[in-house]
Amino acid sequence: MTVTSSGTGSGTVTYARNESLDQKPQQPWARRTPEFRLINLVAVVVPIAIVGLLFWYTPIPAPILVTIIYFPLQLLAALWAAWHLRGRKSTPDAVVMVLAIGFSIMTFVILGSILFSIAIRGFQALSVGFIFQNSLYISPSTPLGWGGIGHAILGTFYIVLIATLIAVPLGIGTAVYITEVKGRFSAYVRFFVQAMSGVPSVVAGLFILTILIYNGLFSQSVITGALAYTILMLPTVARTTEEVLKLIPEDLRTGALALGSTRARVVLQVVLPAARTGLVTATILGIGRVVGETAPLLLTALSNDQTVLNPFNSTTASLPVYIFEKVALPFPDAVARAWGAALTLLIIVGLLFALARVLSVRRFAKK
Amino acid sequence: MSVLDPRDDVSTAQIQAVEEVFAASESTPKKNVMETKNLSVWFGTRKILEDVNIEFPERSSTALIGPSGCGKSTYIRTLNRLHELIPRAALAGEVLYNDEDIYAPEVDPVRIRLKIGMVFQKPNPFPSMTIRGNVLSGLKLSGMKKPDHDAIVEKTLTAAGLWKEVKDRLNHAAGELSGGQQQRLVIARALAVDPHVLLMDEPCSALDPASTLKIEETIRELAQEMTIIIVTHNMQQALRVSDHTAFFLAAENEPGIVVEQGETGTIFSNPKDERTLDYVNGRFG
Repeated sequence: MTVTSSGTGSGTVTYARNESLDQKPQQPWARRTPEFRLINLVAVVVPIAIVGLLFWYTPIPAPILVTIIYFPLQLLAALWAAWHLRGRKSTPDAVVMVLAIGFSIMTFVILGSILFSIAIRGFQALSVGFIFQNSLYISPSTPLGWGGIGHAILGTFYIVLIATLIAVPLGIGTAVYITEVKGRFSAYVRFFVQAMSGVPSVVAGLFILTILIYNGLFSQSVITGALAYTILMLPTVARTTEEVLKLIPEDLRTGALALGSTRARVVLQVVLPAARTGLVTATILGIGRVVGETAPLLLTALSNDQTVLNPFNSTTASLPVYIFEKVALPFPDAVARAWGAALTLLIIVGLLFALARVLSVRRFAKK
Repeated sequence: MSVLDPRDDVSTAQIQAVEEVFAASESTPKKNVMETKNLSVWFGTRKILEDVNIEFPERSSTALIGPSGCGKSTYIRTLNRLHELIPRAALAGEVLYNDEDIYAPEVDPVRIRLKIGMVFQKPNPFPSMTIRGNVLSGLKLSGMKKPDHDAIVEKTLTAAGLWKEVKDRLNHAAGELSGGQQQRLVIARALAVDPHVLLMDEPCSALDPASTLKIEETIRELAQEMTIIIVTHNMQQALRVSDHTAFFLAAENEPGIVVEQGETGTIFSNPKDERTLDYVNGRFG
């Protein structure tokens, strides 16, 4: 019911909601005029048509067609459309748009073709047995269908897990020292962490090999592989965490301090929880940094055909080393297994990232 | 001899004619620069505002008052098409600028935002630019070509009441200014592109009384030449700077509506609705 009265003066009063007004939420900014649609269609279709005709009737190779002919044509078409629809001032918009879309498509094509080629080649080796069995008694010439990479998957998991357990607390601790404690040495620590991120992975492996293995402290095993990975993970985790902590507004810290909190409690109960999503990201980036590293494991974990459970006493298989060894063998089935392992590694990494994303989003939403 | 001298009958007739013209111009309502008709606004499925009908006459200032969370800021952001930048935003009804629906599909939002400027709650000068650079940034960002930048800088900074304080350090970083000065700087920045309408979303909420006073003076002066729409929580401020006032109110879990609107004097001294009376007297909100 509505009562709108205009009494004395110029004012109006509404006493209740206008229930009779029947409106649906709309997004008028998404509406387009027919002219806009037509011109956009022309601007997209014409360059494609021209390039299609050229591809069909001339011997110009496709990459040259796309980069030298299609791209400039599309740019011109977008410029024309923008000029026609919204005037000269909007032409830079059109250029930026074409470049942005073009580069995203290029990135997508590059990534897509890598994924596609690995999937095509790796697909034939994949089977349940391939995922869960180990390679004991399997020779390079054994046909597909026998044996698998279960031991290598487990080895990679094992090594990455231990490396993560060591590197993440260390990395977060380092970042907290740099950004929260702001100790006397933070500048030096930051510099060293930065320098450390430049350490080549093979050097990390050599370091573990000469310091821990040649000195007889450890034998080549899961733990030495994990320590080599830790060296590589640490700077990534520390630097990402540092960046994340820097983004936490200073008001939060002063707010907590003003409630009589100690510095340690500010960090543990206010700053780190606020940076939770970022910490997950830092961990993922750290894992992503190491999970495909081959060189350090070649020096510190070697390989194995058996499943290894004890992290200390035996060399162990891992996916990257498995791929490295098998892909160079002169047997098609061994090469197919290597591609299968590559595909598996890719899928594992993808699942891991997806999981971490879901976890961070869900936790964030709950509180 | 004075022109008002009744002995001069020619001039008496002239005076009468002039007075008639004045009387006529007083009674003719000013043209509406902006107007919303049956405007309802949503975020996703949550309705924020319902059936808002307000007219904004030219060369006037209108205050939008009401308790927090009743949709005033959302409303003001629909007036220059900033609302649509939020994902899942939606609306129905019309927003007219010079009798043209700014949400019509052929309308370029860039053109609308150029003509309908905005000043936000928190001062947001561009930190990488100098004071002078900030004032001129709108010209640069919108690709507008205007001669004599120095004159624009002086004119807009004077209009914003900041010129005297900064004229000797125009090339210093904008971050050096105090909060109140920064807010006046962004007002000058908004004025430099010569908008017809200036939206202000609680421009003084973070400022001290002295800066507030200066900005209010600025608003009153600007309202002589342009249309000002200002959201404020400060009732005294609404009373001081506005010609018209619209009172927004939202019941719990219901969209905001405009309960009462009219001339500011009437709304504050003699409102028709009890809720308006309670609110302007500080009994709630």
